[in-house]
Amino acid sequence: MAILFDIQRFCIHDGPGVRTTLFFKGCPLRCRWCQNPESQSTGPQIAFYQEKCIECFECLEACSRAAILSLADQRIDRDLCNACGDCARVCNQDALRLVGKDWTALDLLEDIVADRDFFLDSGGGITLSGGEPLMHWEFLGEFLPLVRAEGIHATLETSGMAGYAVLKDLLPLVDLIYFDLKLMDSRAHARFTGVPNTRILENFSGLARDFPKLQARMPVIPGVNDSDQNIAQTAAFLRRANKTSIHLLPYHNLGQAKIPRLGSEAEPFEISGIPDHYLTQTREAFERKDIHAIIYD
Amino acid sequence: MPLSTTKKQAGPDARKLSLVKEKDRVARLRESVQKAAPGICPERALLWTEYFKDKANRHKHIYVQMAEALAHVQKKRSISIHPGELIVGNYTSRRVGGILFPELHGLVVMQDLLKFRDREVNPLEISAEDQARLLFIVPFWISRMLPVKVYKSWLETFSMILNQLMGHYYVINESAGISHVAPDYETLCRLGTDGIAARAAKLQKENLMDADKWFFYESVKIAAEGLAVFGERYARLARDLAVSEMDRDRALELKAIAKVCSTIPRKGAASFREALQCCYFAQIAINNESLDNSVCPGRMDHYLYPYYEKDVKSGALTRDKAKELVSAFSIKMAEIVPVFNEFITRVHGGLFNGQIVNVGGTHPNGKDSTNELSMIFLEVMDELRMRQPNYTARIHKSSPKKYVDRIYEILSKGANSPSLYNDEVIVPILKKNGVKIGDARNYTPVGCVEPVSQGKSFSSTDAALMNVPIMLELALNQGRRLGRMARVGARTKPVSQMKSMEDVLEAFEIQMHYGMNRLLKDLKAIERANAAHHPTPLTSMLLDGCLDNGVCSTRGGARYNFSGIQCVGLVDVGDSLAAIQQSVFEEKKLNMEDLAALLKDNLADSKWRHYLRGLPKFGNDDPQADAWTAYVLDVFKATLEGKQNTRGGKYTTGIYSVTLHEYWGNVTAALPNGRRMGESLSGGMAPSNGQDRKGPTAVLNSMNRMDFSKADNGINFNIKFDANTVGTPTGCMALQSIFSTYFKRGGMQAQINVLDPAVLMEARDNPEAYPNLLVRISGYSAYFNDLTPQMKEELIRRTSMGL
Repeated sequence: MAILFDIQRFCIHDGPGVRTTLFFKGCPLRCRWCQNPESQSTGPQIAFYQEKCIECFECLEACSRAAILSLADQRIDRDLCNACGDCARVCNQDALRLVGKDWTALDLLEDIVADRDFFLDSGGGITLSGGEPLMHWEFLGEFLPLVRAEGIHATLETSGMAGYAVLKDLLPLVDLIYFDLKLMDSRAHARFTGVPNTRILENFSGLARDFPKLQARMPVIPGVNDSDQNIAQTAAFLRRANKTSIHLLPYHNLGQAKIPRLGSEAEPFEISGIPDHYLTQTREAFERKDIHAIIYD
Repeated sequence: MPLSTTKKQAGPDARKLSLVKEKDRVARLRESVQKAAPGICPERALLWTEYFKDKANRHKHIYVQMAEALAHVQKKRSISIHPGELIVGNYTSRRVGGILFPELHGLVVMQDLLKFRDREVNPLEISAEDQARLLFIVPFWISRMLPVKVYKSWLETFSMILNQLMGHYYVINESAGISHVAPDYETLCRLGTDGIAARAAKLQKENLMDADKWFFYESVKIAAEGLAVFGERYARLARDLAVSEMDRDRALELKAIAKVCSTIPRKGAASFREALQCCYFAQIAINNESLDNSVCPGRMDHYLYPYYEKDVKSGALTRDKAKELVSAFSIKMAEIVPVFNEFITRVHGGLFNGQIVNVGGTHPNGKDSTNELSMIFLEVMDELRMRQPNYTARIHKSSPKKYVDRIYEILSKGANSPSLYNDEVIVPILKKNGVKIGDARNYTPVGCVEPVSQGKSFSSTDAALMNVPIMLELALNQGRRLGRMARVGARTKPVSQMKSMEDVLEAFEIQMHYGMNRLLKDLKAIERANAAHHPTPLTSMLLDGCLDNGVCSTRGGARYNFSGIQCVGLVDVGDSLAAIQQSVFEEKKLNMEDLAALLKDNLADSKWRHYLRGLPKFGNDDPQADAWTAYVLDVFKATLEGKQNTRGGKYTTGIYSVTLHEYWGNVTAALPNGRRMGESLSGGMAPSNGQDRKGPTAVLNSMNRMDFSKADNGINFNIKFDANTVGTPTGCMALQSIFSTYFKRGGMQAQINVLDPAVLMEARDNPEAYPNLLVRISGYSAYFNDLTPQMKEELIRRTSMGL
């Protein structure tokens, strides 16, 4: 069993062709710009969509733990809530939702196989995303052979934060790896993502040796990792690993508004005054260092 | 008498003309048509009245009357040639306008005579003088128009007219159905009207003993001559204009127009340009004859190609010049608008009159027929993006890659045309209905989506539309509307006695048969009335079979005969039955009486509404939910089984709703699928509004579970994407891939709408209208409507930067 918070079909930006993206829940990193904050915790959670609530308080009766609050912007007492989902089931407005559902490998397989015709025609497949899919390595060890047996292409999107042994075991089961390189300076990495990058970089170098279909990606966060210095270091690192290209993912703050919905205490992260051409400038900086940079949407 | 009160005379302004030069001609023509305010032209109605009022004409055979009346209109109405035009022919005295048919539904439309100008939806210009002149003809037609001739008894007439005006259960369009044809323009271009008249004369001589046939051939000769004369009037006008034209280039153009119009439509077309011009004259004339609804030129790239090829080979025509002519023709088509009153507007929406031009497909021998002209038409539809014509494209397994790629490219850029039709599915359907294989391969969609064999089929494809959800409503209250006492359906079991799903289905099936029989009774009466009082000699002469048989198309003269009945609200009923099955008989959360009470209460209790909406729905790749929609289609089909129209043809099943799903959504009670009264029904063959929760691939999987061979009058499957998702090359490839998969697996049709990026703004302000807009950003999970206002802003900002 593994916990997923979303399955999105017809994804076209998470690898080649038409894909179904599986969003695994749980992540060892706490990137401050995280676009899916609901992916961080490994357990189920109740999300509160304040703007949809009509304050009918059906949820109040449904909750057996008296965890319903009547504050304007909060409905759930997170200390009492065990995310059983009873309140979400009675909510007529979909203002309360249970985020995170357990899947068995076979159920998940059945779900993704439905789009196999589209995968095959478009050269697509599934993409393991999240959260950090590698946190579910045991599950993946069971699930991915089934995917492979169905002839479905599998892409792994990872932060690279895992033991190398885990990664190495999965290599025969995936066709493509998108690997995030967020920041080269380990201290800065720790400051912005909660963990140092030593292991991540080691894993990248290891994969570069052992797995040909490894693609580096970088979410470009203006003012955080688009400095000339970071770009130069990243480019040098890539060249040392015999890699010649990187995907650049534009920054957006669409994850921010999800934070209050979860009652999370994560600090808000705002970048003011994003320069107009930060992406193209980043691309050019990479190109100057002989790394082919592709802006990815 | 001077008929038009619009003071604009045909003579163009020389100063303006000099601006219209080769390069931007198309842009200018397009602009003047786009800018022109649509209006009503009284000429056709007045001239038609003039003819029928004339005592000398009263005792003529109805065939002759119709042909002469039409010829009279064409001879007397005002004509004009607009600046810069290459293809000429004005449909009305206005640049963009419509006409009235007092002998058909004209008086019904004229209820709105005083409102047209100021109404909110689709206002139509009309002068006070024209209003007055039109009012004067009302007394003449009130006892002579078709609707009062349908039934002999006044009671039946009254009940039918009332039913039609309310139009809650079904809407009969048969009087418009007769104009839903794809005429044989190929033969017209080849033989000219003289050639066709000569054939009629020969056959007339052979049939001296049969009065009906004799008069039919006589009427064909008159209709042919009327069309020829109409063309020649333009030849004279162009010659006159050329004399006074100051701009030398334009004067030469006018002389060329005069030359073209002096030979066609009388003689066969000798060039590509003559053929196009010939088609447009015929288009105007047929619209004047039957009703301006869905007269379709059809497969133009196919039957005009020999002319194109010959001209290009001889050096008389270049590709660019051909494209300019095609554009000019296309723009002319947008000058034709239908005149609807408010009620019909609700039913048929917009200023849409379904004149289909199709590209692609195969030759009668099955070989691909795509050619350079197909590519030109694709470019033209992308560049013009006008209201009309309604462009469609046929696709089959050997369609060239270049052609298919180009189609998806323009669709992903937001052209919204063409809609796509799968030959692999449609040709076998037609064949199964008795259409010969070569004729089936020569099909074109007509009107909205209905496939017919071009030039050979009188398919009355839009004969009637039925409100299927209201039949379910009747089944839940013993044949009465919920909350009403009057019984309008069959008396079926009360809900208290419905102990199993079979009981529910039985009641539904009985109501369907009962309702369909009522519909067919009215429809057949109108079919007979058309045959008796509104024959169409011009249309008949351009439909294969009519001349051979000596019988008008309204009386079954054409090679193939059908009538299409549309199943509206199919998916709502399928989802409703799925909901009854699960909530009442599986989960037992409700009994049938509770459910009926909730529906009567319009699902005011949002708890129950939420529950019902949350049950499985069509379009989410759920085989069980999808099976219920398939079942409803089976029931619909069964109600038409073995029945024949008055022309000896079969009733076919269509799944499209034009805009009736919205109107009927307002009059149909709440449904077990969680839809409240006032909310739209599902349009055509698409998941109920906002109920496709798993994205387009799941919708396509559900669609592919349907057996489209049952939808022999076509389906409309409308699916929307936002430009930010599919507007990029990556997106375009994904779009093409999922739809070619859908077609490979037996999909029948698709109308792919790529919404303008501005739609995101609209969706922000009006979330109900776009419930499930997809947002696709790498690694990001959300639906647009789940975003907070700030997030929506951010997304719009981001996409407007082209990221």
